[in-house]
Amino acid sequence: MINKYKLSYNFKWWHAMSLACIFFITDVNASEGGPCKDYGECDKFKYSLNDMESLQSGASTFMNYCYGCHSLQYSRWGRVATDLQIPEEIFFDTLVFDKSIKSGDLMTGSMSKDSSVEWFGVAPPDLTLVSRVRGDDWIYSYLRAYYEDSSKQYGVNNLVYPGTAMPNVLMALQGSQKLICKNIPVIARNGGEKRDGTGKALTTEKCGFLEVPEGSGQLTKDEFDKVIYDLTNFLVYVGEPSKATRERIGWYVIFYFLIFTAVSYMLYREYHKDYH
Amino acid sequence: MSEMPGKLFGWLNSRLPILNTYERHLSKHPVPSKVNFWYLFGALASVVLIIQIISGIWLIMPYSNTEEEAFSSIEYIMRDVDYGWVIRYMHTTGASMFFAVVYLHMFRGLLYGSYQKPKELVWIFGCAIYLAMMAEGFLGYVLPYGQMSYWGAQVIISLFGAIPYIGDSLELWVRGDYYISGITVSRFFALHVVALPLVLIALVFLHLVALHEVGAGNPEGVDIEEFLDDDGIPLDSVPFFPYKVLNAFVAIGVFMTVFAIIMFFFPEGGGYFIEMANFEKANPLVTPEHIAPVWYYSPYYAMLRAVPDKLGGLIIMGSAVAILFVVPWLDNSKAASIRYKGIYSKIALALFAISFLTLGYLGTVGVTEVRKTMSVICTFIYFAFFLLMPIYTKFEQTKEVPKRL
Amino acid sequence: MQEKDNTRRKVLIGLTTAVSLSGIPFAATPFIASWNPSARAKAAGASVKVDVSKMQYGQQIQVAWRKQPVFVIRHTKESLKGLEATLSKLRDPNSEDIDELYRGQNLTRSKSSEYTVIAGVCTHLGCSPKYHPEVEPKPWDASWAGGFFCPCHGSMFDMVGRVFKGVPAPTNLPVPPHFFNGSILTIGEDEELA
Repeated sequence: MINKYKLSYNFKWWHAMSLACIFFITDVNASEGGPCKDYGECDKFKYSLNDMESLQSGASTFMNYCYGCHSLQYSRWGRVATDLQIPEEIFFDTLVFDKSIKSGDLMTGSMSKDSSVEWFGVAPPDLTLVSRVRGDDWIYSYLRAYYEDSSKQYGVNNLVYPGTAMPNVLMALQGSQKLICKNIPVIARNGGEKRDGTGKALTTEKCGFLEVPEGSGQLTKDEFDKVIYDLTNFLVYVGEPSKATRERIGWYVIFYFLIFTAVSYMLYREYHKDYH
Repeated sequence: MSEMPGKLFGWLNSRLPILNTYERHLSKHPVPSKVNFWYLFGALASVVLIIQIISGIWLIMPYSNTEEEAFSSIEYIMRDVDYGWVIRYMHTTGASMFFAVVYLHMFRGLLYGSYQKPKELVWIFGCAIYLAMMAEGFLGYVLPYGQMSYWGAQVIISLFGAIPYIGDSLELWVRGDYYISGITVSRFFALHVVALPLVLIALVFLHLVALHEVGAGNPEGVDIEEFLDDDGIPLDSVPFFPYKVLNAFVAIGVFMTVFAIIMFFFPEGGGYFIEMANFEKANPLVTPEHIAPVWYYSPYYAMLRAVPDKLGGLIIMGSAVAILFVVPWLDNSKAASIRYKGIYSKIALALFAISFLTLGYLGTVGVTEVRKTMSVICTFIYFAFFLLMPIYTKFEQTKEVPKRL
Repeated sequence: MQEKDNTRRKVLIGLTTAVSLSGIPFAATPFIASWNPSARAKAAGASVKVDVSKMQYGQQIQVAWRKQPVFVIRHTKESLKGLEATLSKLRDPNSEDIDELYRGQNLTRSKSSEYTVIAGVCTHLGCSPKYHPEVEPKPWDASWAGGFFCPCHGSMFDMVGRVFKGVPAPTNLPVPPHFFNGSILTIGEDEELA
């Protein structure tokens, strides 16, 4: 049948594709509130699972400050010692406080569930998989986002997790962080600082900034960030202890399949001559 | 002594059609000599099927199908079992890759009319495979008994509740409990590892037998059976072995490279292959903040959300899959391949592909007003593509299909 | 046309085959290795401790290590002396056929001069032999001087688990790694051996 309504328009696939792009571009603005809540964008965290020093320091922070309440129930003591390259004797002497624990035991925590519910209202969650449930960015931001809030039970609140049930156990190290307001320059429409008639920069008061009063903690801000970095790094490790191995083996597997593709492609070309 | 293998083979072959089957379906099976990369996804799908079966068997061994231990047995596999993580990631990556490959394979079908006479049955078996895969994937996702397992299953099983009269009791019957409990997991486990794989393998077998009966297609839509050489072999064909096997080898090489990149570097697929909330044990009292299906169901999930009615949503979702089965009878075009079809078909297919991808995106993100409108529009286009096919394929100008490849 | 291409073709076929086949062992590794005892099994199979001070002379107790019976026997002086008498009946009195951990240290084959610690699994086909310390004629041996008898296939061992001649069991019952700390016997590890 002859088509009477033939279109003079010459259709190309990319016409349709660009149509789709319009929607996706307009939709970007509709993104939901991020996982870090009042903190805004989570701080980016880049793990380094081959940095044994960092992992060891993270493990040490965890055992000293976190393990009192939080278990790592799917992880085994001996495995952590081996993976973090800590000689088992030193590991058990310095990081394992219960002497009845054996190397193959699971890190089931040192607190009974009932007493923890009594103390905190909720049982402190197991943290083996926290880096996989929340993500490393979230942990790294969360542990640095505590601030003084006298209205709360422990006198602290958290920007990343408002109303968190956990007290700021690292306060002695960090100091007592406060939520403050600052005068910041007003940005003009052209992107520069907005100035008044006399050339003085205009400012506006904005709140929600975190600041630690100088000297209120044992560590400087950078030192504290490093402690949290190591701790987060350790939690990333515990979340998936085979991650470093996985990424190492991955390169070999990819290399293998590239070789495989190359030789089979050459053979394919060779046979392709038969019918072309 | 050197005659022994020959004799043994002769003895076997006179009792079992080994040589005949091998020649008919593999070594001498004629395949169109000129096809493009779209024709490789079928072979890749069978590769993933094998990966899934083997890794699946190995996952059954350490997995525990009880409410108390299902979740921790996954962590047991990931940590305590030597190389358990390799096997598990192989299976999770395989699931996503299976769907990716099958979606491309199906799109090839729409692109080059691989459902047209006489390939209707090949297409129908293919649709049945897709349906079985969707069920298989859903059941498998419940087994780790994480938060997404639980709430995903909760949503899907609740859909049964939309069926008039029997809905509520059906829901209860499927679960076997008042919530998705150990017995539900146990049932899904049996279906996932025994029942559905048997169905899948049977369907794949039928899909291939039917295909070999009518012969594989090509991007030109040419019937190669029309010009035969003296031996009755199509002129525009090459034997499957070694030519197409080598073709498949290259495809497998490329595919496995991609597979390895995902499996070893991005096994969670940014939360689309393994969702973050699924690293938390199922908690029937707390719904995760953001609940979305894995990516391969998300287009249908978006359609479900586009309909403001429980039963209506179920019907739309069901019809979206059901309508695929009748495509061979919707296409009135004289040309099979998009290359020779008219402008309407081209635009229709492009819009369809875009709306399907958009629905896929919409199914993974939260709902807003704009997105809801988009979902409705895309759902509409999805169905319009099929329902209007008899009309636009009939009244469009097709180009003449060549006789030879 | 086929003729002139043949060498290249053959080389490429060989290369592709070689690359493909070389991948198989690597692909098989995770599947084979995942059948090894898991970390959980290894943890459950760690050493066990038992207080042996309450044992009476001549008593045998069974301890489960790796869910397998381990026999601990506290010998009387007589039964240790009696070992001499049956020496000629033994197939391998000095445990030369097996990897004996504490060879030549004590008559008991263990790290203690009083206790014997042996795996309670017959080296024939894995049944658990029974303890028969009595010196009296038995249906299976008229001149029985005490020891172990396996009910499955009739293998005989002396009081410290050494196999008799002419029985199906091929070797002596092995001694697992162990050490004593006072009266606490630890089976499954030995600090000196580690």
